[in-house]
Amino acid sequence: MSIISGEELLKGGLDGAVKLMAVAANTALKFGNSKLKIVAIGPEEFQEMADFCEGLADVSPLFNRDGRSFVDLAKKDTRALLIGAKRKSVYNFDCGACGFRTCEELNKAEVVESVVINGPCCHFVVYDVHMAANAAASVAWYMGLHCRVFQTIGGAASGCDLIEDCDFSIGVGVSYQALDPFFDRHKYWTEEEWDEHFAREFPSFTRRFMGAVE
Amino acid sequence: MERKLREYEERRAESVKLASKLLLASATTTPRVGGVDEISIHVLDDKDDIEDLAINIDKMASDNPRWDFFHSDAVQVRDSDVVMIMADRRSGHDPMDSNCNLCGYMLCDQLREAQKLPDEHSVAFRGPFCLLRSLNLAYAINGAVNLARQLGIDHTVKMSVGAAALRMDLVPYKCDIALGFLASVTEKNPFKDLPRRWAEYNDETLQNRLIHRLFPVFRSIYS
Repeated sequence: MSIISGEELLKGGLDGAVKLMAVAANTALKFGNSKLKIVAIGPEEFQEMADFCEGLADVSPLFNRDGRSFVDLAKKDTRALLIGAKRKSVYNFDCGACGFRTCEELNKAEVVESVVINGPCCHFVVYDVHMAANAAASVAWYMGLHCRVFQTIGGAASGCDLIEDCDFSIGVGVSYQALDPFFDRHKYWTEEEWDEHFAREFPSFTRRFMGAVE
Repeated sequence: MERKLREYEERRAESVKLASKLLLASATTTPRVGGVDEISIHVLDDKDDIEDLAINIDKMASDNPRWDFFHSDAVQVRDSDVVMIMADRRSGHDPMDSNCNLCGYMLCDQLREAQKLPDEHSVAFRGPFCLLRSLNLAYAINGAVNLARQLGIDHTVKMSVGAAALRMDLVPYKCDIALGFLASVTEKNPFKDLPRRWAEYNDETLQNRLIHRLFPVFRSIYS
């Protein structure tokens, strides 16, 4: 019997898992006949997204945090499944959630373009995309992969044109590392940095009795 | 009814109530964008409550010319054993402040000032809403869907249930958007293989038309 190395097994497993995640995303329960676009990306694209996020670091703490971790994820053979769709309604619910009375009004509305997302979007197409993302993540979870759904992967992927012909997208990151790289990412902040941010955002936490004069 | 069959019927009804508690747990623990609590899940497992909801959905069908499918939804609600309503209590008035543009406003402050749709019968949800918040509803629903698939419980999702639940005040105060999840434990899935005119040709109408209305006449003539 031929011997297969652990690394080869893990890589092959991840490849297969990403394919099954795409299947789960495509067959996830949907509110209607929405057209989802599904793409898988790998380490090179993570590096590209890390550079994109670095550019947004000053304006968005979220992109700052995830951008820093993408650099490490790129080195550790991490993959992500991107799921996106067009913003228009295909449901004809006329529900009003988007702020327009009818689906036609939403579909004809002027598109507001931004770097990562074009609005206004139909609520139900967004729900379908995110239910698909959740289904993909749950498949990854049952296969024992580490996974997390990232707004930032979706945003950065749109910004880097990794997924085409979509108005918005979402990313599900998966990894076979021994330790979960997506949570408890303390190494990206020193303790001092954390204290500084906390004191700035929650100044009353360490303040003495309200209104007391020292 | 035969004792064995009655026992089976009672346990069947009990099983779906038990499952609804687990579905609620799964829906609650799905991830939330931003990690802030905003979704609440409300379970209707009483036959009368479910019937009230079905009647309201049926009535709403005439509120908007596009809502013909509410008639079929009402039948499916009536056929389900448990109805779960997922409600979002933030997206209407407390946007995420991430300026994501999903709603079509570049800045969250613009969304705060945006004119809401009027309180009219033809409007189900008075948008616009913060989509980045309300997409957490999708995560909550899929949490229930995912577990229901594994437990082998027939299920479906409905926008009409959420719309009716808002009008019936079945959701917390200041919730402006909600969605419905229907669960059923029967031998034939009541949410699949539906004839096109399901509101006209379903178990209840056939029972009424053929058994309660035609057969007594047939019997009185030919007996």
